[in-house]
Amino acid sequence: MAPTSLQTLALRKEYPGTVALRDVSLRFDGGKIHALLGKNGAGKSTLVKLFAGALQPTSGSILVNGTPVVLRSPRDAFRNGIAAVHQEPSLVPELSVAENILLGRLPRRRGAGGVLVDWDAARSRAADLLRSFGLAMDPDVKARSLGIAQQQMVEIVKAMSFGPSVLMLDEPTSALAHDETERLFSLLKDLAARGVVLLYITHRLEEIHRIADTVSVLRNGELIGTVPIAEATPSRIVQMMFGETVQRSRPVDIEPGKRPVMEVRHLSRADAFRDISFTLYEGEILGIAGQLGSGRTELLRSLFGADPPDGGEVLLEGRVVRPESPEQMKRLGVALAPEKRKEEGLVQLLSSRANICLAGLSRIARRGFVTRGAEQEVAARYVRDINIEVADPGAPVSFLSGGNQQKVVLAKWLHTDPRVILLDEPTRGIDVQAKQQIFQIIWDLSRKGISTIVVSSELEELMSVCHRILVLRQGRLHGEVIPHKSTLEELALCIQ
Amino acid sequence: MNISRRLLSSAVMEIILAVLCVVLALAAPGFLTADNLLNVLRNVSMQGVIALGMTMVIIAGEIDLSVGSMVAFAGCLTAFLVQWLTGLAAGLPMVPAVGIGILLTLALAFGLGCVTGVMRTRYGVPSFITTLALLTGLSGAAELITNGFPLTPFPAWYNFLGGGYVLGIPFPALVFLAAFGLVHVLMNFTPFGRAVYAVGGNAEAARLSGINVSRVKVLVLACTALLAAASGVMQSSEIMSGTATTAKGWELDVIAAVIIGGTSLMGGVGRVWGTMVGMIFLGVIMNGMTLLNVSEYWQHVVRGGLILGAVLLNRLRQDAATGEFAGA
Repeated sequence: MAPTSLQTLALRKEYPGTVALRDVSLRFDGGKIHALLGKNGAGKSTLVKLFAGALQPTSGSILVNGTPVVLRSPRDAFRNGIAAVHQEPSLVPELSVAENILLGRLPRRRGAGGVLVDWDAARSRAADLLRSFGLAMDPDVKARSLGIAQQQMVEIVKAMSFGPSVLMLDEPTSALAHDETERLFSLLKDLAARGVVLLYITHRLEEIHRIADTVSVLRNGELIGTVPIAEATPSRIVQMMFGETVQRSRPVDIEPGKRPVMEVRHLSRADAFRDISFTLYEGEILGIAGQLGSGRTELLRSLFGADPPDGGEVLLEGRVVRPESPEQMKRLGVALAPEKRKEEGLVQLLSSRANICLAGLSRIARRGFVTRGAEQEVAARYVRDINIEVADPGAPVSFLSGGNQQKVVLAKWLHTDPRVILLDEPTRGIDVQAKQQIFQIIWDLSRKGISTIVVSSELEELMSVCHRILVLRQGRLHGEVIPHKSTLEELALCIQ
Repeated sequence: MNISRRLLSSAVMEIILAVLCVVLALAAPGFLTADNLLNVLRNVSMQGVIALGMTMVIIAGEIDLSVGSMVAFAGCLTAFLVQWLTGLAAGLPMVPAVGIGILLTLALAFGLGCVTGVMRTRYGVPSFITTLALLTGLSGAAELITNGFPLTPFPAWYNFLGGGYVLGIPFPALVFLAAFGLVHVLMNFTPFGRAVYAVGGNAEAARLSGINVSRVKVLVLACTALLAAASGVMQSSEIMSGTATTAKGWELDVIAAVIIGGTSLMGGVGRVWGTMVGMIFLGVIMNGMTLLNVSEYWQHVVRGGLILGAVLLNRLRQDAATGEFAGA
């Protein structure tokens, strides 16, 4: 097989108001595994989507084997030998492995006066493919019965069955257990040995040393550099990913109180997290850092009663509480702004006003009745207090920008007078100015003695906003970082 | 958008209804008489009471297919209880017997609605399935109670509930108006009503806002079963018997009225007032066609067209409001 290559020349992608990718020139050669790293929003997925034909570049070009190609659609990408495997397996659960692999191109035969699916041929083709990748898997079992790792393997076999010369994998291990990751890696090494260009996108620094030959780092849409794996020390990679960060730091006057508000003791939930203990003090801003799948979101949801814990206990101002439902935890003064803001934080069909009033309806009601005037009053108060930019509070909340939607979620909870606010990725998909405003809200709450727990994958933000950061790793408490006594690099390495 | 266009788009069903009334007043002999209009009102009221509950159920993202059977079942059960309570074994006088009969019937209906709700919230059985089962189950139960023949134990004064007048207005119409007022206030001015919209719009977001989603769903389904049973009592009073074959297919009329009134089957969107308009619209058009001697077969065809047309109209209006195209 001739050595293949995938190359970009000054590739640029602009959106109204932002540049997602800035004149990136890169070259990936066949037979090697290329890791692509960067924080959220660094431009990794934009680059992958451009290669996959899902997006069109604003300028610049993509070259396959030195020839410029125009990829207008995923079909174009396919024709040029580029295939992608995405983060979440997307097999059809009720179909067999063979049918999933050959979906849309099942072998046919004549019979019964028409054209029928040739199941024997399908089965043997699928079995051949699986065997050629060293997988001992029954092509007749339904995809549903496979573990996530096996599903991921089937996805890769499916992608490879098109005979691509470029295979891109977007965080394929985020849902995998350790030994499953090992099997995936050995499969990828086999593929590389056949001359395929492998592009491997990940958040996990430790992985790149076990699998990659080169490491390319993107930051804010720019290519920071490509280094051979031998030169990619963890601290150098972290440095490349985060750059010289400017700490927008917390005002100095905000110090946590001495009185414990929430004490968590040996809290566990099956398949999510184990034996978590910590104490949250009055007015404290506590960060939680960890990889995807470290149990950070699950922990917050458990503390809020959304997915009740199945072991350990929680004390709220000294009283033992068993979190069983959001309704109960709301009554006890706990609030949660969930990670999936659009799907879980807001009722998109309802107005901003109705969403702001949603958690505190019984507070608004006078003698059991909620009047339009009372709702307007509450909504107007929070629109003013936390600067929600909304033209008409009576219009559907879905009209608002991400930042303003997040403020509506916060307003909803502030209205319940909580003692503890749990924020899951509060700044995801929000512009810089809105981020600052959200931080300001958190700091103002702290001054009033209200405690906050912030989960975020934006480590710089945790470093600049929080008093203390807990690190979760594979469902366990791994350590604690005090921002003013540590560096970002130390935190970044601690969560790995 | 200027004021008149906004008014036109937000009150489009009301305007169509008004135009329809004017046309019928001119074209259909006898439409614009007090007798006829009161008749329309009475016919509409029996189903309208149920449609109010159905509006809550559909806004909450559920459905109740059992209301027609519930009407027949409630009438038969009331008749059976009255017969039994005044019979040799119990020997109660008529007045308490009727009172107890009605109350027990309403309580049982409320309980059955709760069962549907609990099946939905605790066991994940869709309300479509549970109420489909109740649709045939209650119909069968009504036949069992009555042995297939109408039960006629009611005293003459019982006819007041379904056939009586207060100040010239049919009693069921007053019940309808009162129920409308209650449900309208409940849905618009109480925490419970606001929670119904949130639950139907996004049950998970509602749950994570500390709303007891199960309670909301159970209660709306129970209220609707209760209203259907109340309608059944009035119906049995109008025909002065418990008859198992009555009210067949009412669930479709009721759901049609709710949908014509602008409530979305996807949940989260709808108005109680819209259902009122939809119900009257259906009643008027059926009455008009009868007066114009349109065959009953054609009436069914027209009703089908109306449902489709109304939903299409609502979709187009929503798309115009959000500037999106259907399906995009």
